[in-house]
Amino acid sequence: MTPSYNFAFLDENTKRMLRRALLKAVAIPGYQVPFGSREMPLPYGWGTGGIQVTAALLGPDDVLKVIDQGADDTTNAVNIRRFFSRVAGVATTERTSEASVIQTRHRIPETSLREDQILVFQVPEPEPLRTLEPREAETRTLHALADYGLMHVKLYEDIAQYGHIATSYDYPVLVDGRFLTSPSPIPKFDNPKLDHSPALMLFGAGREKRLYAIPPYTKVESLAFDDHPFEIQQWEETCALCGSGKSYLDEVVVDDQGTRMFVCSDTDYCGQRQAEMPS
Amino acid sequence: MLAAFADPVFDSQRNFRELLQAMARPMQPRELPLLPPSPAPIAPAAMAVLLTLCDTTTAVWLQQPNEEAAQHLRFHTGTRLVEKPAEADFALISEPASMPPLEAFAHGDMRYPDRSASLIVQVAGFRTDAGARFTGPGIRDSAQLSIDGLPQRFWQQRAAMAALLPLGIDVYFVSANHVAALPRTTRTLES
Repeated sequence: MTPSYNFAFLDENTKRMLRRALLKAVAIPGYQVPFGSREMPLPYGWGTGGIQVTAALLGPDDVLKVIDQGADDTTNAVNIRRFFSRVAGVATTERTSEASVIQTRHRIPETSLREDQILVFQVPEPEPLRTLEPREAETRTLHALADYGLMHVKLYEDIAQYGHIATSYDYPVLVDGRFLTSPSPIPKFDNPKLDHSPALMLFGAGREKRLYAIPPYTKVESLAFDDHPFEIQQWEETCALCGSGKSYLDEVVVDDQGTRMFVCSDTDYCGQRQAEMPS
Repeated sequence: MLAAFADPVFDSQRNFRELLQAMARPMQPRELPLLPPSPAPIAPAAMAVLLTLCDTTTAVWLQQPNEEAAQHLRFHTGTRLVEKPAEADFALISEPASMPPLEAFAHGDMRYPDRSASLIVQVAGFRTDAGARFTGPGIRDSAQLSIDGLPQRFWQQRAAMAALLPLGIDVYFVSANHVAALPRTTRTLES
């Protein structure tokens, strides 16, 4: 641990500001609370929102896991884990079941979460309506009026053009029947895990200076139409390493001839399954 | 003058985590791990919430202000004390029987429903085997909690406010070393 920083890098006033915003975020599920996002020692887009939320949560007894697209061993995940072991001295893990706080970029672990765990999402664009309406004042009004027709039109246009809803990640959800919310760019495969999750889920967007929350046991619906119900991705393949037919698979090109293999994106889940396999 | 948290960084972090889980799992009392000394009429658990969340950028309203309590809060948190309930980010209710109506507190703006008051209400006690049942975000099926020492009109005023959602007021009930939260989204089930 580097002693020249305050515990978990941020100063106490910043942590209190974040904590007040987090409590309001939990009290108003899916609503984006503005907060005073700070300069962090890494650029926007590298998870500064998630890092600030994690810094406001962490205590010396926490065990932190960080994943990037499901993997514990990618640059972003390794660096954020190392950052917090330096500035907070917290224990880190790659095991989902051992972690008390899990910071994630764009996946929800395959292993079911528990009530005593908190999942922190890194969010690039917290406003699900932003690509449809660039003005913040206007999107605020649309949320105030719960006027989400724009998003339904967008999904309808997908169906008209492609015959199905083509949005495959960052698939918009309605939280507690009220606020249209971005689940962050998780694949829509993970959307069902948001609904009635035992674990509290917090979302931080550093560049956009917004945070929001989905409390545990909260109704989270993925938008759909009666005749075009919500569906998740499916594969004909199973994981080439652990054989799982239930996890989210990444397609990997393995040579110059274009040979491909499908492997679990969740490295911890895949590794555990491989360890359990009879050798 | 009394002391505040013995270890401000870690004591407020541990209390915050309980407050966060309390707000995420409404009407399910949780234990606050560290209670600081506090001058009357502020209960130690209420002081723990104030020390954890308040600083120079917040406005606090005390139902029963006195010089010692005001000085203590100003010294340890630097917070601004306000005279009107409507101006408060945090309001401390030390005598629920005579608390102002809920309408007196800020309940947010349609574009910014988070700009609303959080009430810290000191109550006589909690019983999880009696009282009304609650449901809503954070509650698995239903949660039962009886809060002693809270006037009946609180529930009537709160029910009237439910029509304003997502506007509303969020409440932390404290008793001894326990806290139970009641966010605006929690609904009382008809028995």
